[in-house]
Amino acid sequence: MNDWALRVQELGRIYGPGGAECVAGTGPEFGRSVSPTTGAVVGCWDIGFHVSPGEALGVIGESGSGKSTVMRCIAGDQQTSTGRITLRSVDDGATDLGSLTDSERRALRIDQLAVVYQDPSEGLDLHVSAGGNIADRLTAAGWRHFGNIRERAAELLARTEVPLDRMDDPVATFSGGMRQRVQLAKALANRPPVLLLDEPTTGLDASVAAGVLDLIRDLLEETGVAAVVVSHDFNVIETLTRRCLVMHHGRVVEEGLTDQLLEDPQDAYSQRLVGAARG
Amino acid sequence: MSSIATLVQADPRTSRVLDETSKREIRRATLTALAIPGYQVPFGSREMPVARGWGSGGLQITLAVVGPTNVVKVYDQGEDGGVNAANLRRLVRDSEGVATTTDAREADVIQTRHRVPEDALGEGQILVLQVPVPEPLRGVERDMNELRRMHAESDYARMWVSLYEDVVRNGVITRTTGYPCTVDDRYVIATTPIPRWDVPKLHQAPHIALFGAGREKRIYAIPPFTDVVPLTFDDIPFEVEEVAAPCRCGLVSPDGAADAYLVELPAQDGTSTWVCSDADWCARRRVDAGLLEAESLQEVEL
Amino acid sequence: MGYNASKGGFDAIRAAEDLVLRHRAEAMSPWLEVEQIIERLRYAVDRVMSEGGLWDETTAAMALRQAEGDVIEAAHLVRTYRSTMPRLALSHPADADDIDVLRRIVPAFREPPGPQLLGRTLDYTGRLLDTTPDDEARRAASEAAAERHEREPDAPTDGPTDRVPGRLLDVLRNMDTVVDRRRDDDPEPADISRVPARPGAPRSARLSVMARAETGALVQLWYRNILGPDQHLHEITLGEVRHGRLPVVVDHPYSGEPITIGHVRITEVEAIEDLDGADEDRTKFDVGYGICLGHNERKAIAMANLDIALLRAPAGSELEQSVLMTTDGLDSSGFLEHLKLPHYVTFRSMMERKTAMAGTEGSAR
Repeated sequence: MNDWALRVQELGRIYGPGGAECVAGTGPEFGRSVSPTTGAVVGCWDIGFHVSPGEALGVIGESGSGKSTVMRCIAGDQQTSTGRITLRSVDDGATDLGSLTDSERRALRIDQLAVVYQDPSEGLDLHVSAGGNIADRLTAAGWRHFGNIRERAAELLARTEVPLDRMDDPVATFSGGMRQRVQLAKALANRPPVLLLDEPTTGLDASVAAGVLDLIRDLLEETGVAAVVVSHDFNVIETLTRRCLVMHHGRVVEEGLTDQLLEDPQDAYSQRLVGAARG
Repeated sequence: MSSIATLVQADPRTSRVLDETSKREIRRATLTALAIPGYQVPFGSREMPVARGWGSGGLQITLAVVGPTNVVKVYDQGEDGGVNAANLRRLVRDSEGVATTTDAREADVIQTRHRVPEDALGEGQILVLQVPVPEPLRGVERDMNELRRMHAESDYARMWVSLYEDVVRNGVITRTTGYPCTVDDRYVIATTPIPRWDVPKLHQAPHIALFGAGREKRIYAIPPFTDVVPLTFDDIPFEVEEVAAPCRCGLVSPDGAADAYLVELPAQDGTSTWVCSDADWCARRRVDAGLLEAESLQEVEL
Repeated sequence: MGYNASKGGFDAIRAAEDLVLRHRAEAMSPWLEVEQIIERLRYAVDRVMSEGGLWDETTAAMALRQAEGDVIEAAHLVRTYRSTMPRLALSHPADADDIDVLRRIVPAFREPPGPQLLGRTLDYTGRLLDTTPDDEARRAASEAAAERHEREPDAPTDGPTDRVPGRLLDVLRNMDTVVDRRRDDDPEPADISRVPARPGAPRSARLSVMARAETGALVQLWYRNILGPDQHLHEITLGEVRHGRLPVVVDHPYSGEPITIGHVRITEVEAIEDLDGADEDRTKFDVGYGICLGHNERKAIAMANLDIALLRAPAGSELEQSVLMTTDGLDSSGFLEHLKLPHYVTFRSMMERKTAMAGTEGSAR
């Protein structure tokens, strides 16, 4: 496997006391995430995958499945309990992101790893203008020419279909769909090799969501970024990803090509999920 | 039989405002500040006879660094004769026994509020600036833990965003005084409320600049020959205050360019006269031009 | 006399000082004695000692007199005075259980172990202004004193009682209903006069800051939290409210023996908080602590409330910043009043920017 941008190995996250011992007795075959011995919650366990440049990997699950935990661990918003997360662009994958200090991880978020959150207010400063939010990333990367900053911000906003005459308005005045577009523009500002998207269209009206989804699909193709898309929504996973994993009680229960998995799921839980989604 | 009275060593100079141990502590903080240009060093700020916010920090630094043979200048808004400057000057004089002057060229230590002298200072001189608010990121970030992190990680992105928004909203950078500058390519400082006119004087200056914030209990410093660069975009030059009119004395520099910071004296009818803020510098220039008698330079009581 | 911000500074200052001295010297009313201030304006004297951070009634009274009744000014005088004094010794840590109570109430229980003692307080006196003319009041007072002296010539005054009541906190601990915050280590308490307290500072620093803080600032912060927008407090019941004297013990510089060199009067409060947070042990209470020099119950109660609020508030909360950075009376009023200093250099710079903005019509290139 030569061509990869993000690699996750044996990732685990436990909330509460006990360490690896409390994992026994949890998982899909036991039907629970809470350890019967220590009461700790196993957020996720033994998660492993890789993503190549230009590829989008989906992570499907219901709420409580651990998919958001995985995303937050990669993003650095949460600490892992065990496992390795590596980026090709950081020491050619030799350094586990979990071993970095908080400030080193924050530095990665400038141009190595970007996140689009379900709630735009997590990824944006609502009091600042749309252009200003993008300027935040550009200046963090060292841009100092006002004209260039503005030009690049305008370019990104145009590409994410935000009306140019709203570039200087504070993001707080934008609708949910528009805020997501600004979040996308900001995430891509410094051309990161890896992009994480957490329920990118959940919470948006159906018609708005469709537009944003199409936009994301096009952007993923254009930029060649390696993406991880976390969602409970099959439409999102189908539209955006070529491969996906299904998570349940913190574990991966099935993985495969998205089309095939959704067409013909093998695991019992996956079958139930797909069945429910397809009606 | 001992009593507390005998245990107390009576200090002959009872008007002493700051004891030697405190001075040593302040000097140590100052040396730390010089070793890390632009970094705000916390110190055990003592209560002074002047209120917090009225120069207690600058006063502590001056008292700590002067020696009995030094000459001290204290001025405020560019005026030596002002009430606040006069009060501080007499405190320093009575406490340390130093000589005082209004001529910036003669002073070893210059304590100032809101101005840097128009005279170019030289090596060996110390400028002590009074600082009301030492935090340059005030207004950009409220959380003190986050402020600490931003300085520690040199993460000034939010400051740049605020400058970007400023230009977008107003067409120019509207920061007035206390313009944020990067010192030695590392820490961003608040240049106390000195006008933008004075900021370029700090860059690669041969003198030491010490900044004292008594209320906030912080000292920061710029050692000689250090880069002090105002924060601005590459394509938006740093702007000093535009000169509206020459000083009422009529004197301008030979090439007609502005050579001093001027302040406005409005009349009731809406017209204005303009005068140099640095009163002593202006008076000396007028003496040299024959517009003023040299004796009148002594009008400020020291 | 006219005042120009820039010229004749010394003349103006001298004239101002002369005015103050003249009014003091030529006032029609009798000279104000230090003993009068200590005896008859005791709450003001106690506040000055508390906010000045120095126990000495005479010094505080002199400061109050010189400051013409301005409590913050007086506290400033006391602190500056304290700054000039050499530190001769560090006392042994004072044990609050060594208190000699003058007053003790326990609102949480009807009959707490150890007696309650209402002591000298204005709490239950009707707030009715006594407008009796002075000479009549003076006569009535000396008559009452003479009469009482006849009745009980050896009656005790409201002095110390030699009673040291137990602490309610111990009762709650025995009932196992309170979070145990006792520690095994014995860290040095923070000295905020040497190292400024900043967010992240230990509890001892927070308590030191509050012990010297301005009474009004603490009361206002408390009010914001109990009913106002901040709401870091849930349901407080007071455990102990005490006013009493604590001995001050130092090692004699020559013999090395511990000796009591005097007493300070303090007010001490323990505030019981009913824990209700998701991450807290809701089967228990937690207790906040307040203490200050002199008799100032308002301040000690607010302090105890804020102590427990700070223990419960999440790390990096605004409350911590507010307490550490905005409650010192000298800092806040000094900075506020500095606005009276000339600011024309900075104002000129602001006016210049207005002109510059008008030139560009406020839109970006």
